[in-house]
Amino acid sequence: MRKILVIDDDQTFRELISSGVDKNKYAVATAADGVQGLEEFTKNKPDLILLDIMMPRMNGVEFLEKMKEAHGEQKVPIIITSNDSSLDTISRGAELGVRGYIVKSNESMKTIMASIERVFTESEK
Amino acid sequence: MLTFILGFLATCGIGLSAFLLLNEFKTKVAIERRERDSARRIYELAILREIGDRIGYSLDVTQIVDIITSSLHQFIEYAAVSYMIIEPEKVMFKMHLERSVHRRFVTDVRDRMLSSLGALLDREFKKDDVKEILSGAILLEELDEPVSSFFNIPLVIGDKVVGVLTVSDTKSGLYKEEEMTILYKLIQQASKAVTSLQAVVKAEQEKVSAMVESMEDGVVMTDADYRILVINPAAKRIIGKEGQKDITIFDFIDNLGGKMDMRGRLEESVKLKKNYVSERFDINGKFYQAFVLPVKTETKLNADDVLGGVVIFHDVTREVELERVREDFTSMIVHELRTPLSGIQKTSELLKLPAKKGSGPQTKKFVDLIYQNSSGMLDLVNDILDAAKLQAGKFEVQLGPTDINDILENRKQFFEVSAGDRHIKLETLVSKDLPKNIPLDQQRIKQVLNNLMSNALKYTPDGGSVTVSAFVHDPASSVATETAKLRLALPSPLPENAFPANKHSLVVAVSDSGIGIAADLMPRLFNKFQQLNNAAFVSNIKGTGLGLAIAKGIVEGHGGNIGVVSQIGSGSAFYFVIPFNDTLLTPKA
Repeated sequence: MRKILVIDDDQTFRELISSGVDKNKYAVATAADGVQGLEEFTKNKPDLILLDIMMPRMNGVEFLEKMKEAHGEQKVPIIITSNDSSLDTISRGAELGVRGYIVKSNESMKTIMASIERVFTESEK
Repeated sequence: MLTFILGFLATCGIGLSAFLLLNEFKTKVAIERRERDSARRIYELAILREIGDRIGYSLDVTQIVDIITSSLHQFIEYAAVSYMIIEPEKVMFKMHLERSVHRRFVTDVRDRMLSSLGALLDREFKKDDVKEILSGAILLEELDEPVSSFFNIPLVIGDKVVGVLTVSDTKSGLYKEEEMTILYKLIQQASKAVTSLQAVVKAEQEKVSAMVESMEDGVVMTDADYRILVINPAAKRIIGKEGQKDITIFDFIDNLGGKMDMRGRLEESVKLKKNYVSERFDINGKFYQAFVLPVKTETKLNADDVLGGVVIFHDVTREVELERVREDFTSMIVHELRTPLSGIQKTSELLKLPAKKGSGPQTKKFVDLIYQNSSGMLDLVNDILDAAKLQAGKFEVQLGPTDINDILENRKQFFEVSAGDRHIKLETLVSKDLPKNIPLDQQRIKQVLNNLMSNALKYTPDGGSVTVSAFVHDPASSVATETAKLRLALPSPLPENAFPANKHSLVVAVSDSGIGIAADLMPRLFNKFQQLNNAAFVSNIKGTGLGLAIAKGIVEGHGGNIGVVSQIGSGSAFYFVIPFNDTLLTPKA
């Protein structure tokens, strides 16, 4: 069973991922901001993180910085799922070692799910 | 005898006729003189007017004296007319010869003029200081005649002697009173014209310079060689050289740091007579737009001659800030609408998938998500509409007799679930003497309470408490006593001056044990879009930042006011006060 951690302040998105994935293959943990995200990361040791950028308390970029500080290179693949499509954030994300960038409102659930699948198939190779 | 008589008569007759003749002659002479006088006066006037016209509005004393001296020979006889004017570094001596004279004549007149100038000003002038210009007839060695007639008139402008004017001749006995009167009048008129003109110009200059000095825009004027002629305090302030003297264009070039090519733009203005309007640029945290214009003369002689250039720095910081707020607001709205919309879209996408086994609860969950997201969007759209109403200044309330206790209980129930989830104690505290028929707009007051209560819950940590209280304020009592009587604990006492002094009022307070609000933020809380303007808020709390502004609009629509007291670390209390008619109170026994 693969573990996915969804860090997003939008409850709907968290629930959509939880309900949308194939429950036979994936277990989903959720966090509403970066602070909770760090806690859940330690607790659940996920295999993939879906990370929002604009969040209260600790935003996605701060989360990435904290992760890098604590664990060096990002060993767990991280996909940014945000509506923030500014080049600054995208390049900052790339610097901090994210695997992919999905602009949530531009993509369907099908694409998002396919991206999740792809990360796992790639890492299995 | 008869002859005698006749002779006598004849004599008498002759005498009479002689007498008559004499009389007639006298009359004739008088008439002639009168005619001559009036002709002279007319002539005099004509000359005065002509000279006056030619002097025009010139401020240049030399130019004016030149005009006078060139017209003078029309009615005064002289071999030479000359003037001497004190200039900053020399004494200008100019003589025009109507007839040829000996050099000694010129020197003699010059020396006499210099000494009378010295006497008038009580100052000693050296002969070397005199700069001499001769014109007219040539000097002749064989005409060695001395100065026999000489008349000096001081040139006075604004009570100050600026020079002397002299007519001189080799003939003696010239320059009687009559001629001199004309000359005096002429000089007087010219002097008066220049004096008043100078006063006008000075007053105008003072007005212009006062205006330039007090302008909020920075103004810099340079000559054609880009030397600064005029600079106002605002312009100095822009480049951080406030109060400094001797500012050059290089100070601007250094401080503009390539954001605006001031020198190059001035050159274009001066040489090509081009106007220039810059893009916005920033210096020391402020935004400016620069206008560069050529300064042209407007005299007919040198029409369109460019004297230099003017640079005006217009402060557009406020506009830039407003634009930013508007942009932030727009992107906030887009974000706040896109998130729930995208949620609804994705939820329905999942709903469209072929139903799996046991999809019952799943479907309900998805429908709930759609419901939540669309409700959130509706709230947001309503907030925006309310804000637009506020902007238009027409926040109308529909008043109806209201028992505020009902509303408070209703809201308590509404928020109880979310408070309970976070172990926050939610309480209501209402004084018993509250009238049950205060005219309020129930829906709008609910909206205010929604806002205040959701804020209180948002900023209160888990396990804290939120209290909603209501009481009547009696102008004869103090708010401190009233809150004490209610046993209402507040993070900070309510300010007594926030309550009407001559009417009873309804006070509703929402207090929490939250994080509190910094004192410098409090006055701006009720401004529209405030949340956006504060970085600390933006990163922590989501929302439109419109809620408190709308609450304020609603309370003010009721004729009341809204406020906040807070203590960092111990909590905040938002309160609103709505005055009502004393007749609503239950009469005291």
